[in-house]
Amino acid sequence: MTAKLMTGNEALAWGALHAGVKVVTGYPGTPSTGALTSLLTTAPEGVHVEWSVNEKVALEVAAGAAWAGQRALCTMKMSGLNVCYDSLISVAYSGVLGGLVVYVADDPGANAGMPEQDSRGFAVMSDLPMLEPAAADEVYRMTRTAFALSEETGAPVFIRLVTANSDSFAAVDLDDDPPAWPARTPVLTHDIDRFTKAGAAICLGQHRDLIARLEHAGRWIADHGLNELTLGARGGLGVLAAGITTAYLDEGFDIAAQHGLARDQVSVLRVKAVHPFPAAQVQALLRNCDAILVLEELEPHLENALRIEAQRLGLSPRIVGKLDGPFERIGEYGVSHVVQGLAAALDLEVPADLFAGSSAAEDIAAARPITVCAGCPHRGTYMAINKAVRRAGFKKDQVMVTGDIGCTILGMNPPFETVWTEVAMGAATGLAQGYVHAGIPAPVIATVGDSTFFHAGIPALVNAVQHQVPLTLVIMDNGWTSMTGMQVDPGTSVSYQREGDRPLDLATIVPALGVEQFWVVDPFKVDEMTEILKQALLLPGVKVLLSRQECVMPALRRRERAGTTTVIAENCNRCLLCINVTGCPALSPGSEVVEIDPAVCYGCGLCAATCNRNAIVSVPAEEVVR
Amino acid sequence: MKGYDIYLVGVGGQGVLTIGEVIMSAAFRKGHAVSFYPTKGMAQRGGFVKAQLRIGRASAGAGIPEKGADLVISTEVSETLKAVRYVKAGGDVVLFAYVWAPTAVALGKAPYPTLDDVAAQVRDAGARLTVIEPASLPEFEGAPVPDNIYTLGVAVAGTHLGEVVSADDVETFVKGRWTRGIERNMCALHAGLKAGAPAQASGGTPRDRHAWAFH
Repeated sequence: MTAKLMTGNEALAWGALHAGVKVVTGYPGTPSTGALTSLLTTAPEGVHVEWSVNEKVALEVAAGAAWAGQRALCTMKMSGLNVCYDSLISVAYSGVLGGLVVYVADDPGANAGMPEQDSRGFAVMSDLPMLEPAAADEVYRMTRTAFALSEETGAPVFIRLVTANSDSFAAVDLDDDPPAWPARTPVLTHDIDRFTKAGAAICLGQHRDLIARLEHAGRWIADHGLNELTLGARGGLGVLAAGITTAYLDEGFDIAAQHGLARDQVSVLRVKAVHPFPAAQVQALLRNCDAILVLEELEPHLENALRIEAQRLGLSPRIVGKLDGPFERIGEYGVSHVVQGLAAALDLEVPADLFAGSSAAEDIAAARPITVCAGCPHRGTYMAINKAVRRAGFKKDQVMVTGDIGCTILGMNPPFETVWTEVAMGAATGLAQGYVHAGIPAPVIATVGDSTFFHAGIPALVNAVQHQVPLTLVIMDNGWTSMTGMQVDPGTSVSYQREGDRPLDLATIVPALGVEQFWVVDPFKVDEMTEILKQALLLPGVKVLLSRQECVMPALRRRERAGTTTVIAENCNRCLLCINVTGCPALSPGSEVVEIDPAVCYGCGLCAATCNRNAIVSVPAEEVVR
Repeated sequence: MKGYDIYLVGVGGQGVLTIGEVIMSAAFRKGHAVSFYPTKGMAQRGGFVKAQLRIGRASAGAGIPEKGADLVISTEVSETLKAVRYVKAGGDVVLFAYVWAPTAVALGKAPYPTLDDVAAQVRDAGARLTVIEPASLPEFEGAPVPDNIYTLGVAVAGTHLGEVVSADDVETFVKGRWTRGIERNMCALHAGLKAGAPAQASGGTPRDRHAWAFH
């Protein structure tokens, strides 16, 4: 064994490799991204790893490989599980030949925005086993277990992590001598009873098989001791803790011991396989304990099942959790929840302010709204949209600009305040059509990023074209999946595509979808773009602008800059128009004239284009004296 | 079991997560159990970042409870305030007092706390504040040394962190991690160590250096 520091995401990647995974697919999404990213660099020859166009396709690619007998892994954040669920439920009905592991990362506390979805609900809904390891080392080992479980039962198996373990570093004992996995010969199985849904008899039979596989998984999990039950004194307290919350138990017990907890009075069931519900072990806990403390983030899945189990046994223990308090269904759990729960269940005298730091300090902290980077081409797009709306004769509050997922949403914040909505991948174009049909009299604008457009935006545009909905779509094409940290998407330049891959050009795709009013514009040439957009807003029918300029981050990594900008002091009257319009972090008001931080400035020239006193000039890269 | 918990805050691009990575790696090499939970959220350069580093706990979740951190390291004046609820009474706050003003603040449209405001909040939490003035950064070959490595030096020399990872541990790791610019980083580290040493602390009294150890 070699102990290495790594994140839960990396541990999961190593676990899959050491389980002989053959095909890995996924779509970037915080906090799951790191797993596939790490496999892109560590996977040996012969293991196929790809960022797929969206999670539904990713799941289908992985399922196809598993149906052909290979081991496959599919990675996503919780939003992606929603996207792929339609295919997943059908695959669940069919079962798999090779092991199929679906890794989903939830985000209690919404560190990265989006709903606090508890994906355990999907395991219940699809009758699929779900493992929930806590520490990174456990993630590594349980990922290997997940493949074994999947092949033993024929069920796809979920691994669910949360932000606190997927993105956290801890020591992992990597197996120095992992089992060798000889290459498997792919198989073709022609069996319509299994791989189609053609008729009720087939579907009902598969449903029966699905339930049988879950029961099989329950027995396998019990036999392999994935959930750990330690019984304490009879009549004491039982703790039912799921996944990440188990990591806080020991620390919580130590603290509670200082306030009167007798450790030997406590029975503990550490649940790492959260679905199927470990009924037999829970019954043992119920028979042994007069009160049960349930520790689980977000939804009360275990607590509900526990209450059913108690009712079946005719027991009525005191249950401390979410239904009768003290916990809520919001946010991450920590050691304070363990201590607070123990105190509530055992009437321990724990000082109320033990974990209550003052929030007064935060109340006076400066607000720091997220914004686009210096040199971000989207800055030019927001500026152009805002100007074009005015030039077309409308007020800003008359024109709906729907927003999508990713960096393009950053235009919601000052100084732009351009986009109004954020729903889901590709949703902006559909929402915009609804506003038009609702009778909004002013033009309606939709925005979407390139990766998001490929992911789920194309069907929405097809819908707009078919129904000839008058709207203007601005595709903000920076050539990368940027918000999640620079992943290659179908439109990324060929020099970054994997060998043998081929990029697709949005400039040819959009007209091919039947869009007749189509312009390719440069967001750094903000006046030109403004003029074209203004005209587009006043035209009938479907209009699409492809606002195209590469994301600034990869350019900076290549040590490329467009140039720089300088302030001509005698022309600057410190009106601050440049800062008010661009909000660029390279600009500051200065004491006498506006100042530009040359270390931050990318040289995009948008501030120079904004200044109406010729006080800022752009110096192209080739003219910069270094 | 006793552990040492560090809460780090700053603005994306300042290198505050790097401070955490260095401490994590140096502690891990010493054989300490570590957990390091960086949270970048949606922050590109210019957004709030935080990280939670827990050392010496064989079994612990990644999150530090409120009033649980032995040390807060902050690289931005206002962002310090977001860590105050996590520092324990008797803990340390080491602040590299850089002001990264959000645009609305720079334009005079939004308030920004003074260093005195921050100091008062830290004092109310019962913690000891060490402020590093950005202007005090020494220069190396005409440019200021890396502020994050300097800040780390101050923390190692001036708080109980030095009993968890020594100056030598940090030096060894930093030299191996960044083979380019070793002299610059060493200049930063040694200057920070010197500035943070209790004897050098301006107006301070010698610290109560009771033995700190893992059990």
